[in-house]
Amino acid sequence: MVGLVDAAAGIVLAGGRSSRMGRAKAALEWHGSTLLQRTTALLARTVGGPVLVVAAPGQELPDLPPGAEVVADPVEGQGPMRGLATGLAALDGRGTVAFVCSTDLPFLHPALIRRVLREFADPGADVVMPVARGHRQPLAAGYRTALVPLIEKLLGEGDLRPGMLFRHCRVLQLDDDELLADRDVARHDPELDSLVNVNEPADYAAALARPEPEIVVERFGALASRGQRGPRTVRASSLGAAAAAVGITLDRHVVAAVNGDQITRDDQLPLVAGDTVAFLSSDAGG
Amino acid sequence: MQAGGYFGRALVVDVEDRAARSAPLALDDAVLRAYLGGVGLGTWLLHRLAPAGVDPLAPEAPLAFVFSPLVGTPLTTSAKFAVVAKSPLTGLLTDALASSRFAIAGKLTGNDAIVVRGRAAVLSVLLVDGDGPRLEAAPELGGLSAAQAEAAVRERFGRGWQTAAIGPAGERHVRYATISHDGRHAGRGGLGAVLGAKNVKAVLVRSATRVSIADPHAVLAAAKDLRARSFGPATAKYRELGTLANLLAFNAVSTLPTRNFTAATFDGAHRLAAEELHELRGVARNSCASCSIGCEHIYSRKGGGTQRMEYENVFALGPLCGVSDPDDVFAASARCDELGLDTISAGGTIAWAMECAERGLIDAPWLRFGDGAALLRALDLIGAQEGLGALLAQGSRRAAEVVGQGSIAFAPQVKGMELPGYEPRTLHAMALGLAVNARGADHNRSGSYEADLSGEHDRLNGGAAHAAATVGTEDRAAVMDSMILCKFLRGVFDDPFTEWAALLSKVTGWDVDAAELHATAQRIVLAKRVFNQREGATAADDTLPPRFLETPLELGSGRVAALTADRLRSMIDAYYAARGWDAEGRPGRDDLAGLRLDRVELHDVAGAG
Repeated sequence: MVGLVDAAAGIVLAGGRSSRMGRAKAALEWHGSTLLQRTTALLARTVGGPVLVVAAPGQELPDLPPGAEVVADPVEGQGPMRGLATGLAALDGRGTVAFVCSTDLPFLHPALIRRVLREFADPGADVVMPVARGHRQPLAAGYRTALVPLIEKLLGEGDLRPGMLFRHCRVLQLDDDELLADRDVARHDPELDSLVNVNEPADYAAALARPEPEIVVERFGALASRGQRGPRTVRASSLGAAAAAVGITLDRHVVAAVNGDQITRDDQLPLVAGDTVAFLSSDAGG
Repeated sequence: MQAGGYFGRALVVDVEDRAARSAPLALDDAVLRAYLGGVGLGTWLLHRLAPAGVDPLAPEAPLAFVFSPLVGTPLTTSAKFAVVAKSPLTGLLTDALASSRFAIAGKLTGNDAIVVRGRAAVLSVLLVDGDGPRLEAAPELGGLSAAQAEAAVRERFGRGWQTAAIGPAGERHVRYATISHDGRHAGRGGLGAVLGAKNVKAVLVRSATRVSIADPHAVLAAAKDLRARSFGPATAKYRELGTLANLLAFNAVSTLPTRNFTAATFDGAHRLAAEELHELRGVARNSCASCSIGCEHIYSRKGGGTQRMEYENVFALGPLCGVSDPDDVFAASARCDELGLDTISAGGTIAWAMECAERGLIDAPWLRFGDGAALLRALDLIGAQEGLGALLAQGSRRAAEVVGQGSIAFAPQVKGMELPGYEPRTLHAMALGLAVNARGADHNRSGSYEADLSGEHDRLNGGAAHAAATVGTEDRAAVMDSMILCKFLRGVFDDPFTEWAALLSKVTGWDVDAAELHATAQRIVLAKRVFNQREGATAADDTLPPRFLETPLELGSGRVAALTADRLRSMIDAYYAARGWDAEGRPGRDDLAGLRLDRVELHDVAGAG
């Protein structure tokens, strides 16, 4: 089951108009980063396949994490269905399923992404869609790449509504209880904040005002000397912030591992509630 | 004019009956410049002096103590020597480094290398100084540990001698016995058994001359600079906690081999951690001669005494065998020192035997993971070559061939050499390095774990970048092990090949640049491979045991670490291509021409290129 997540791709649809926000959501500052950078990097640290950002024609994007691919929509004004088709098609055989989301999900948690993607173990599922508090979440959902011809057909017929797509394929819906049945979702995202999006300035301000996630930091080797041993809890949205909170500089002699997995010194790497960050010497071995 | 830092000759000593005769082997400038010293020059010497197909334990098999141009200079960490021979464990080339005063005194006998062949009639010691070699019968040293033997010969011959000796395991030809000097082992590949097979308990060397340096003032200035840099952050880990600092960090990133590689994290890791032991039991720090780092950390033992502990011996005798009691691990390490055993191969072979016993494949119900007393009992049996120990003294590959029943699938070895403490499924560049390295599963000649742990690439998704990293670390190791500089210094060099070339130029007087050193590194790597091919190695030997290719590991994050045969194959292909070898891992004829190896039968080892 875990293999589904390792093989899945990630797609961020960055091309929305942000009309209610009044400025481009993609470039909104988020604790030293931007919303788009965070969402893209969050996907990248969760799925094993490629991560794509679908932009509107001519759209200017903020900096993206290394490895993220940018795909431009060929047509403007066809909404998320156009972006969905472009993103899935751009995978071009590099994955059979993708987690697809909008830019504006600042609290998106890997546990929810994994929960969604695991449902593709059902070979008949074309779409896996959370339904939080009764609201369908097509822009935080999983899609099979095999849907591209169907989406293109619907777009060709002038039908731009995601709802039409769902009528023509098998959609597996996950309600609150089903999402929270996942131990990690229940533990790290009990309010399903992963699905909170920010549409207006007030949403954004409220989201920014929330406390940053609680992170457990551990130091090893020379970094643990002078009484610095043992786990410590800090609040940080990124690896750089977690390092700074414990007085560590992410230079060439230091690397970090998030949850014992990725080794990195990318200070922009997004952190989420429940993460454990190990800082260790990069001069390992011997 | 002789290049600085060299004498331009190796002393080839044949021990026979109760005497030693010797002949100098001229080492011309071209050979020295092509192979530098240490591991590189040792490889060239083995090509020249080891008969093809020789039994590593036969009298005619050469064992070379090889020094380097930097030995005797004030450059920090340069007091090191290589021991090179055909390995009784792998049947291929093995080279191991040890350090300190033996290196200085050995070189100042007036030789760039001392090669030992033959077999003495009785247990003897070989003494080499300015008057040449002499053999002295020393049957009273039989059964002594290397440290005891060093003390005994110091008593007998005086304090001016420096000694490299074997323990009882070497005398009894345990295939992973070590040679040690001052408590530091030339550990891997069974060099102690090779010396033991010559009935030589110890080699003693005494300074007799001086070596000229091309530009002493420049070398002194470089030494001051290097020494200052050696106190910086790149070596902090080694100074503050030593290599044992790896243990808890590796546990955190699921790369701590546990219970014969059935897991990559160990519940008892914190009990064995440097951070813990340093506070509770740390008593001293020590360093080799001419070293400003001081990486050796000494701990107190329960009931008295002290023990030096390194990551590799703690991993191999602790988590790998499921043992978490530090006193058991300390005792097992001490026992390996006394017997003269490579801790990695000893731990790996015993861990394999523990799994066999638990599966009912061998009749040893007492041998269980986690049982420290059983670990000690197994070590004693190995050292004595008694009972089950006689089987385990052969190493895990030979033992698995005897036991059969599919046990070779989980024998933790490559080319017969047991794996060091790096889980290949969670370190894919390292997996490649372990598979292709000439010495077998090895972390010192192929340190590509560095790239895995640097974040430069995804360590769980091996590909072309991992192959490039493996080539890079092998090349750097080839130069460092030949110049010789300690690898714990590697982090202080911003532009390693350029800086090493500058050091070498100051010492030798040659006008060496980074490009030449890159070519030298590739030549040394190739020479090792060609030696192995001469001895029958093929591309089929460049692999990992089935366990690593067929059984994935799940990380704490939920991600699966899988290293499939296909992935490893594609990395090996990329590695061969990067080295310029053909699909069977064979070099082209043009490459062979640069080896300066007159005796290489080119048509036997060359590919189509």
